[in-house]
Amino acid sequence: MQNYPPTFNLVIASVSKTHFDGPALAATVPGSEGELTILPHHAALVTTLKKGTIAVRVMGGERHTFPIDNGVLECSHNSAIVLL
Amino acid sequence: MASLKNIKIKIQSYRKTGTVTHAMEAVSAVKMRKTQERALAGRAYAAAALSVLEHLSRSLDTSHHPLMVRNLGFVNPNFGFTKPKFRTCLIIVTSDKGLAGSLNSSVIRRAEHEIAARNLGPEQTIMIAIGRRGAEHFANRGYDVRIRRENVSDDLSESDLRTITDELLSWHAVGEIDTCLVIYTNFISTFEQEALAHQVIPVTPEAVRETVAGIRPARGRYAPRSEAPVPPLAIYLVEPSVDQVLAELLPRLINIMVFHAFIESKASEHSARRVAMKSATDKAKDMVKSYTRHFNKARQAAITREVSEITSGMEAMR
Repeated sequence: MQNYPPTFNLVIASVSKTHFDGPALAATVPGSEGELTILPHHAALVTTLKKGTIAVRVMGGERHTFPIDNGVLECSHNSAIVLL
Repeated sequence: MASLKNIKIKIQSYRKTGTVTHAMEAVSAVKMRKTQERALAGRAYAAAALSVLEHLSRSLDTSHHPLMVRNLGFVNPNFGFTKPKFRTCLIIVTSDKGLAGSLNSSVIRRAEHEIAARNLGPEQTIMIAIGRRGAEHFANRGYDVRIRRENVSDDLSESDLRTITDELLSWHAVGEIDTCLVIYTNFISTFEQEALAHQVIPVTPEAVRETVAGIRPARGRYAPRSEAPVPPLAIYLVEPSVDQVLAELLPRLINIMVFHAFIESKASEHSARRVAMKSATDKAKDMVKSYTRHFNKARQAAITREVSEITSGMEAMR
């Protein structure tokens, strides 16, 4: 059986700053249609985001949170991009 | 031979000019570093945003969105079908002040080239001028400079530009324009800048790809990581709907493209000015040097003359 990496590549960026760029285990984002969690190998998805908080879990059990006002999430090929 | 006093005045004025240009060079050097950093940091975001659109446009049918196709006909709900007479919007990004080498003239030349290539006259264009140089040039030639921004701070944020792009989108929405180009100076390095024109509206995958290719520097920290193979088409789930996502994404993208043009131009402006001021300072130094030599020669000649006058006077008295 193929060994899948347990993480996916996540980028959270606004114009002035890249807030997060690296492997993540899971990311919970406030989608405009409801909260959703991105896990590795999520199906290709594009959605708009609403005001809320992005919670990212990385290797080692650390958690990062980022409050956002709006944004767009794109997810494909085991990587996710959040544009704020 | 010019009198000693005249030469002295010249030397002093060159020295003063040198001091001023040296100060301007120092100021530009600081601004250059800041704006270059910003331009480079912004590139990562712009590239990411544009690649999202590129992925989307390859796998979804986005061709019907009004911002992605050229306006062909336009049905005005009040007047029925109106014969379209679309204009082209040009966003000209220049600096407010000169003394930056050929920076502004190359942007203006590029803009005029685009105008000529598209057979546009003052009646078929709307200008948005960021920076006084471009605004004045086109206003003097009878173009409709609809929005004029001067003295824009270096650290203008993306959301500040929203007012301009919102206006732009509203012209598009009412069918006044169908194409929008942004003409700016791309920052390549401190010594090299290039005037570029990019199509902002309609947002086409080709135009987007071109912009992405243009904003990724060839080398350095933000250079593309080893040519990634084009991933196979992903079938996207889109929430809430394609239209809503595009309605959110496209204005954002357009704003980013304009913003990107703006910060690149700022980085280019300060770099160009720094280089121009450096060469002015060097030139002033050279001039001071050569006039000082001139001065010394003249002084020596005067001394020699005086001495020979004295000696010849002594000879005569003998």
